[in-house]
Amino acid sequence: MQTAPRPRMTAGSWLVLGCMILLSVVWLLPFVSVILTSLRSQGDMMMHGVFTWPEKFLWSNFVKAWSTGGFGIYFKNSLFIIAMKVPLGIALASLAAYPLAKMSFRGRHAIFLFFLIGLAVPVQVALQPLVLMMKALGLSNSLFALLPPYLAFGLPLQILVMRGFFRQIPTELVEAARVDGASEITIFRKIMIPLSVPPLAALFIIDTLATWNEFLLPLVLTSASDSRTVPLGLLQFQGEHSSQYTLLKAGVLISIIPVLIIFLFLQRYFVAGLTAGAVKG
Amino acid sequence: MQGIQVSGQVPRRTRSKGQRRLTKLQPYLFIAPAMIFYLGFLVYPMLVSLWTSFLDWDGLSANYTFVGLKNYTDFLFHDDVAQTALYNNVLWTLGALTIPTSLGLLMALILNRRMPGTLAFRTIIYAPAVLPLVSVGLIWSWMYNPNFGAINLFLHWVGLGNLAGGWLSSFDMAMPSVFITYVWGSVGLPMILYLAGLQAINGDYYDSARVDGANAVQRFRHVTLPGLRESHVIVLSLAVIGGFKVFDLIYTMTYGGPGRVTQVLGTWMYFQTFQYYHAGYGAAIAWVIASIILVLAIPYIRHMSKE
Repeated sequence: MQTAPRPRMTAGSWLVLGCMILLSVVWLLPFVSVILTSLRSQGDMMMHGVFTWPEKFLWSNFVKAWSTGGFGIYFKNSLFIIAMKVPLGIALASLAAYPLAKMSFRGRHAIFLFFLIGLAVPVQVALQPLVLMMKALGLSNSLFALLPPYLAFGLPLQILVMRGFFRQIPTELVEAARVDGASEITIFRKIMIPLSVPPLAALFIIDTLATWNEFLLPLVLTSASDSRTVPLGLLQFQGEHSSQYTLLKAGVLISIIPVLIIFLFLQRYFVAGLTAGAVKG
Repeated sequence: MQGIQVSGQVPRRTRSKGQRRLTKLQPYLFIAPAMIFYLGFLVYPMLVSLWTSFLDWDGLSANYTFVGLKNYTDFLFHDDVAQTALYNNVLWTLGALTIPTSLGLLMALILNRRMPGTLAFRTIIYAPAVLPLVSVGLIWSWMYNPNFGAINLFLHWVGLGNLAGGWLSSFDMAMPSVFITYVWGSVGLPMILYLAGLQAINGDYYDSARVDGANAVQRFRHVTLPGLRESHVIVLSLAVIGGFKVFDLIYTMTYGGPGRVTQVLGTWMYFQTFQYYHAGYGAAIAWVIASIILVLAIPYIRHMSKE
């Protein structure tokens, strides 16, 4: 951007810039409202409202929200399920995407289409049977109950994205390795995966956030309080402290700070991955 | 790689029959692990719930009665809340198709120009899209709070205090209020997708259009819009699919209320199945949602599966 000469700003450009700044302020307002609430005492808020400078910055709201809300457990649960689901899901999707992109075999297109249909399947349509299945597997109320459905519902998009990337890898490379006698699993491990590190990283980040945010499946599959994930724990916290506004807003911030940090710092990969998922390979 | 050098190794022809069968099986072995999870935890429960939708069953006990299509006819003719929910979903989807998408397109067009601060603007507009919807719902419930919320405060500030009210507890305003929350979180994705689409349009087209004397509006109509065709398919499909999946925001912000005016199919299915223990009826609602989405997603799936 620095190298390109800046075009002169016309009156129209200034107007557009002004509108964008205004819009950004409006877009940030909900964040500001929550932050200003979370940093003051309940009495201060009652007296002066939300949009004033806090009398005193009450950072202890966060400590109090964290401990009374039991966020420690929820964070541990969410991170644990992310640590299991994200790598496993991406591994399964990559394995399936490789032959769909680079081998010719009977039923290739049908199998791909079969996976794609999953993009349009709402989780509601599997919800109640999943509850019974997990009970039968002895997993009801366990965090592990989330893993299989998370994987199953995540696969369609991830297979689509990985297949798109694998297709961009030159076929000659794969053919040459085959002539050299390399097995398919070697080609997968030594060629496809090393050449797909950026998309894999993007998928990793996007899936981490998506798993953190997941709500309906854990709502139904994990009712015990010590297997709740962050969104469920937050809702529980809200139910118990609905009138303690300042504490509750601190809890809301606790639930979003991790995703915001990941987004802000890894935005580059993130955006690349989103776009790639939407553009067919 | 060194293909010639290695051709002296064991030629393919001499491989045993078993080896050849293994080679033929290989693609399926790669796909198998994913397929097992997909079949076991998406396709199978989906089919079970199709069967459930023909039952009168509480979802817990061993007793059930086969009632055929009764749950579906009940849905269509005897359930006012289901009608409200369906209506809300249709309205929501129409809103989702037009408002965040056109805003996203507008943002993309603006941010595609050379202008200071584009990265910051993009980050700010997209940021709400990465948050858990439960948190988004709680943030906006606070915005709508009758006593302390920013919305009422603003209305008083500009002298429109008579418009201030309890947004989420109002029969008329609850649904639009939740939808505005949705818009806040949903402009980002179409913006990013359209930006990618715009950046993929060959700049030469604009130059030749300019040479031919096309003005800005004509260039937009005849170069930009056709160039974004692929982006449109994706953006609009995702909006439609999402429109019938709505759940988290309603659950968090209104819980289907006041009364039942903000029920959507997703929440009504949840209430029927897990609060009222009408598992058969809930499964029928779930299948209505799934059928609608599957039909509406056909163009998207076709587009994505094109070779």
